[in-house]
Amino acid sequence: MNYPVWYIPSVGGGLLIALIAILHVFISHFAVGGGLYLVLAERMGLRAKNRAILDFTKGHAKFFLLVTLVLGGITGVGIWFIISLVQPAATSLLIHTFVFGWATEWVFFLVEIAAILVYFYTFDRMDPKTHQAVGWIYFGSAWLSLFLINGIIGFMLTPGAWVADGNFWSGFFNPTFWPSLFFRTCIAFLFAGVYAFLTTSFLKDDALRRTMTRYSGKWALVSFLLAVPFAYWYFSVLPEPASRLVEGASPTIQRALFFGLLAVAALFVLSLLLTIAKPSVHNKPVAVLVVASALVFMGAFEWTREAARRPYVIHGVMYSHGVLAKDLHDISRRGILPSARFAAMREIHEESLLEAGEEIFKLHCYACHTIRGINNDIAARTGSMSYRALVGYIERIHERRYFIPPFGGTEAEARALAAFLFSGVHGRPLPGAEGDRAADASRDTFEANCTTCHDADLVKSRTVGWDRQRIRKALDRLSALNPAMPDFQGSPAEKDRIADYIVSLQRGSAEPGAILDAGEDLFEENCAMCHALRAGENALLPKVAKWSPERIRQALDRLETLRGGMPALSATPKEKDALAGFLAGAREGGAR
Amino acid sequence: MNPLVPSPDTIPVPWGYFQFLLMLTFSLHLLLMNALLGSTGIALYAHLRGGEVHRRLDSGLSKVLPLLVAFTVNFGVAPLLFVQVLYGHFFYASSILMAVFWLAVIPLLIAAYYAAYLYGFRFGTLGRAGAAVIGLALLLFLAVAFLYTNNMTLMLDPRRWQAYFANPRGTVLNLGDPTLIPRYLHFVLGAAAIGGLFVALFGRAKERTDKEVGELATRLGLRIFLVFTLAEVVVGFWFLASLPREVMLLFMGRNAAGTVLFAAGIVLTALVLLAGFRRKVLPTVVLTVVLVYLMTFLRDFVRTGYLAPVFSPDQLKVVPQYGPMVLFAVTLVAGVSVLAWMVLKAKEAVSGSREG
Repeated sequence: MNYPVWYIPSVGGGLLIALIAILHVFISHFAVGGGLYLVLAERMGLRAKNRAILDFTKGHAKFFLLVTLVLGGITGVGIWFIISLVQPAATSLLIHTFVFGWATEWVFFLVEIAAILVYFYTFDRMDPKTHQAVGWIYFGSAWLSLFLINGIIGFMLTPGAWVADGNFWSGFFNPTFWPSLFFRTCIAFLFAGVYAFLTTSFLKDDALRRTMTRYSGKWALVSFLLAVPFAYWYFSVLPEPASRLVEGASPTIQRALFFGLLAVAALFVLSLLLTIAKPSVHNKPVAVLVVASALVFMGAFEWTREAARRPYVIHGVMYSHGVLAKDLHDISRRGILPSARFAAMREIHEESLLEAGEEIFKLHCYACHTIRGINNDIAARTGSMSYRALVGYIERIHERRYFIPPFGGTEAEARALAAFLFSGVHGRPLPGAEGDRAADASRDTFEANCTTCHDADLVKSRTVGWDRQRIRKALDRLSALNPAMPDFQGSPAEKDRIADYIVSLQRGSAEPGAILDAGEDLFEENCAMCHALRAGENALLPKVAKWSPERIRQALDRLETLRGGMPALSATPKEKDALAGFLAGAREGGAR
Repeated sequence: MNPLVPSPDTIPVPWGYFQFLLMLTFSLHLLLMNALLGSTGIALYAHLRGGEVHRRLDSGLSKVLPLLVAFTVNFGVAPLLFVQVLYGHFFYASSILMAVFWLAVIPLLIAAYYAAYLYGFRFGTLGRAGAAVIGLALLLFLAVAFLYTNNMTLMLDPRRWQAYFANPRGTVLNLGDPTLIPRYLHFVLGAAAIGGLFVALFGRAKERTDKEVGELATRLGLRIFLVFTLAEVVVGFWFLASLPREVMLLFMGRNAAGTVLFAAGIVLTALVLLAGFRRKVLPTVVLTVVLVYLMTFLRDFVRTGYLAPVFSPDQLKVVPQYGPMVLFAVTLVAGVSVLAWMVLKAKEAVSGSREG
C-alpha cells in the first residue's frame, strides 16, 4: 500500500522473481560447494603428483570463475533488483532489519571474489601450500556468505521470536536456521559434484575422465544421502500451517513437489550410475541431464519454500501483497483504495466500477495472480464463477483458501473487484447491473430506516403471504400495525423501495427453483475456482457420473480425504444437501 | 508533503553511520567504475589505432578489465545497500516506475561482463572481431550508466512520479528532467578522465616489464585525463546551472558547508590539472582520489537539497541495536586483512613466476 505496483498482468512479478532466484541459487550453491571441490581436487592432484588432475582442476576453476563470478554474482544483484521491484515493502523490511547482516555478507563477497581471482590467476604460479590456503579462504568466505543469507531467508519463512522482540539475532537464528544451513550445505556439495560432471564430460583422456567422474560422483552421492535427514529435520520444524501446505493443501506446491521428486530420483539414479555402476557411460548429454535434474530439483525446493510462506511474504508479519498483518484490519475498515498511496482513484463510482476493480486487483491480487499469464492465472480460476459467487468468495477468501490473504477491503471494494474479475477479465456483462443497483438501493433504504428495531428476518416472518400492494399500503400508516411503531416519514419513492425489498425477501425463499439456485451458488462459491462443471479444466460431473446422490452427499463431508490438496467444505449440512442436489440434478441435465 | 512519498522503515543505529559508509563505499565504487569505463574506451581506441605497441597495451588492459568489472560490481553493492537504508522509500518508488529498464541493468551487465572476459581470454584469436566485442562492452556500460542516472534523478523528484498513473508498466524514464543529460555527461566524461588516469597508473606499473607500453600508457592516459577533465569542467557548470535554483544556491552561499566544499572542489580540480600537466602521475592520482571523495559529498548535497521539502535522513526513527554493526566492523577488518595478505602473496607469485 506504500509503494507503486509494477503492473504487467500477463507476466506477473512473481514469475520474474522465481526465474532470477532459481537461476541464482542454482549457481550460488555451486559457488560454495564447488570451492571445496577445487581445493580437494587440487590436493588430490598434488599428492598423487598427477599433472592431468591438476590441469583438470585448473580448467574446472576457469569454468567455475565464469559461471559463479559473472552469472552467479550478477544474478545475485539481480535478486535484489527484482525483489525491490515486486516486493518493495518486504525488501525494505529485510534491508532495514538486517542491514549489517547484508553488510557483513558483502565483506565475504569481496573476499570471495578476490580469493577466486587470485586462485585462478596464480594456478601453477604460486607455491602449492599458499595456493591451497587461498582456495580454503575462498571456500570459507563463500560458506560464510551462505551462513548469513541463510539466516535472512529463513527469517521470511519462520521469523520466530523476532515477531515479539524485534531483535536481529532472534530473527537471524530463527527456527529453520540450523536445519536449513545443514541442508543447503549438503546441496552445495551435491552441486559441486553435479557441475563437475559437466567439466569431466569434456575430458578427452578416458582414464582421467573415469577417475574424475567417479570422484565427482562420490561428492554427489555422499551429499545426497546426507541431505535426506537434514531435509526431514527442516520439514519437521516448519510451523503447522506451512507444513500442511507442503503436505498437500496447496495445489501449486503439489505440482512443484511432483517435479522435484522426479528430478531427485533422476539425480540419484544418474549419480549412482556414474559413480558405482558405469562411469564410462559418461558423456555430454548425460552431463546435461544431470545438471538439468539438479536445476529442476533446486527450482522445486525454492518454489516450495517460498510457497509455504503464503499467505505471507514474511510469515505472520507481512502478507504476500505487502500489507503488514497488524495493518490489515485498519485497511479493511478504511478501504484499500484510500489506503494505497499509488492508487489511481480513491473512491468507487458506478461509472468507474471496473477501473476501481482493476486497481484493487493490482493492489491485492496481482502479487500472486496474473491475468492469462503462466503463473496462477486468475482468468482460469474465475471463469465459471458468477458475479454473486465471486463477491461471496472474495469476502471469505482466506477461510476458503488458507494460503490467500484475507480480503482487506470494504464491501464496496469486494463488489468492484468481483465486477472487474467477472466483467473486466472475462468480458461478460454484469448480471442485471441495473437491477442489482435498484435492489441495492431498496435494501439500503430498508436498512437505514427499519433495522434499528427489527431485522429482515423478523419483517419477513411478519409479512408472510402479503402481496406488494398490502405491504406498500401498510408503510403509509405503520402505527396502525403496532402503536409502538412510529409512522414512516419518508417519501413515496422510499416507501416503494422498502416495499420492493420486503417483497424480494419473500420471493427469496418461496420460489420453487430456490433450492437448485442455492446449490448452484454453492458450487460457484466453493468448487468453481478449481473445477469446471461439465467439461474443461478438472470438470466435476464426469468424476461423479456413476455416483448415487447419497454418495455425492457423503463425499461432501470428507472432501479433504478424497484427494490431497482439496480443502474440506465448510458449509452447513443443509447447504451440502443443496449442493449435492444441484450436482445430481446437473448430471441429468437439470441445471443450466 | 507529497502524498506519494512512502513511509520509511526504522534503522538500527543513527543515520550518520550509514551516511559515512555510503560516502566511503560509493566513492570507491565511483573510482572503480571510472577505471573500468575509461580503460574500456581506451582499450577500444588502442584496438582501432593498431600498431605493435598499442596492441600490447590493449592486451594488457584486456586482462585487467574483467577484474575491474568484478570489483566495480562488488563495490556497487555496498552503497546500494546503504542508500536503501537511508533513502529506500524514494529509491524503490523510482525503480518501480522504470522497472523494465532498471531490471535490464542485470542482463546488460552480464553481457558486458562476458564480453570483457571474452576479450581478455581470447585476445589473441579474436582479431578484428575484438573491436566489436570490446565496443559492445563499452556501449553496454554506457547504457547501464544512463539507466542509473535516470533512476538516481527520478528518485529525487517525487513530483515526477505522477507519470506512474499514466504508465504503471515500468517503462517510465526521466527524460523530461533538465538535469538528466548534463548529469549523465558529468559522470561519463569524468569516468573517461579518471579512466585515463588509471591507464597512466597502469603505464607506471608496466614500465618495469615493458618500457614501450609503459610510456605509451602513461602518455596516452594523461592526455585523455587532461582533455576530459577540461571538458568535465564545462559540463560541470552546465550541470550546476541545470539544477533547480534552491539546490544550486546551496553551493553559492546559502549553505556554508556546501559552499566550502564546492570551492574546495574547484581548487582541487585546478591542482589536479596542474599536476597532470606536469606529468606527475602519483600526485595526480592522490589528488584525484580526494577530489572524487569530495565530489561524492557534493552529489549528496544535491540529493538532500532536492529532498529537503519532503525528507531528510535525520527523520528516520532509530530502534537501536549495535551488536550487528560490531559484527560488521570486525568482519570488515578481518576481511581487509585477509585481502591484503592474498594480494601480497599474489604479487609475490606473479613476480616470482615472471623472474623464474
